[in-house]
Amino acid sequence: MMGIEAITGRYVTVEVEGRALRIYFEEAGQGRPVLCLHTAGADTRQWRHLMNDAEVTAANRLIAFDMPWHGKSLPPEGFQTEEYLLTTEAYIETILAVIDALGLERPVLAGCSMGGRIALQLAALHPGRFSGFIAIEASDFQPAWYDIDWFHRPDAHGGEMGAALVSANISPHAPDVERWNTLWMFMASGPGVFRGDLSFYTKDDSLIGRLGRIDTAKTPVHIIVGAYDLTCTPEDAQRTADAIPGATLAVMDELGHFPMSEHPEGFRPFFIEALAKMPAGKARAEAAA
Amino acid sequence: MIDQLAMMQARLNATPHLLRLGRLFCETVLLSVDGDEYYLTFEKGRLEAITPGPSRKTPYRFALLTDAEALAEFWRPVPKPGFHDLFGLVKMGRGQVAGDILSLVKNLRFFKEFMALPREMAKEAA
Repeated sequence: MMGIEAITGRYVTVEVEGRALRIYFEEAGQGRPVLCLHTAGADTRQWRHLMNDAEVTAANRLIAFDMPWHGKSLPPEGFQTEEYLLTTEAYIETILAVIDALGLERPVLAGCSMGGRIALQLAALHPGRFSGFIAIEASDFQPAWYDIDWFHRPDAHGGEMGAALVSANISPHAPDVERWNTLWMFMASGPGVFRGDLSFYTKDDSLIGRLGRIDTAKTPVHIIVGAYDLTCTPEDAQRTADAIPGATLAVMDELGHFPMSEHPEGFRPFFIEALAKMPAGKARAEAAA
Repeated sequence: MIDQLAMMQARLNATPHLLRLGRLFCETVLLSVDGDEYYLTFEKGRLEAITPGPSRKTPYRFALLTDAEALAEFWRPVPKPGFHDLFGLVKMGRGQVAGDILSLVKNLRFFKEFMALPREMAKEAA
């Protein structure tokens, strides 16, 4: 597609854990706010296809931001002597700080992989800040079958190794161009960032005991999972959905772990279906009143 | 299997981007299929030798152990879920990685694309 896209990008500085963080965010569309979270080791570019989808953005304002250390968001001051290890607490604080800074009123939260995991944490811990949750390739907990230290070492390129590893999660139905655009983000991520994300994703199992407290009557939860996802399998997603009373689940037979990025056309109908399950603008306003 | 490996060898050695990715890869890899051993000797990314086993005296850096049925599905243009990646085979219990796994991970893209060459050839033939 030639020409200028509808997506616009800006920066916002927020405070998380007492430190200033310069965050890059993008948005497109108007209407109901939908905050989109990228996966581990990647950035906002994963959402660009949906943000360029006129049918989606006609009534939805899609906003995505790069987590600190990712994409065009900087790491915090002093990072050069710091070991990046994402925690549930910092992740939640960052998301809530971005929502406050952008003045978003009860957005729908759509997150993929670790973004889906934190979406479910927020559904349990801060439901009043959101109107609903779309948890993509999301599950209660995934222990690592690999050594996360592989991806940050002085004698090898962590990004290239990380990309080669996560290629296991991309569906063979994905168009080649989008497979490689998806992997490029992993190849280009900062040193130790994928490892630090995986630390959160593969070591923090605190969500398991919280799933039962999610009230889907107030904030719906819809989980979407791809059959070619080796990390969060349909069985993992089903187990998670079963633990959340009222949660719904859709299985995508031809997609993998990065559906919005690896195979935009294949994912599109599932995302539109998910949006339809979320409260509309008017209902959100009434629920908030 | 030996014919298949010979075709993979010819294809690898004629694929510039794989030779570039594998330019530092000088190792012997054991591929075991239904218990039949094949020692694959790579030199600067080129597959220089395919030596059938069994052998108890051939050192290897890492090994991939699997079965012919799983490999046949892995090599289809569009494999079933789980069969689409070497680590999928491992996760399903249809494959095992042994030896120096870090050496495999450092050269993961190279080795995965080498192992998937028959899939590329099947796509071209379709």
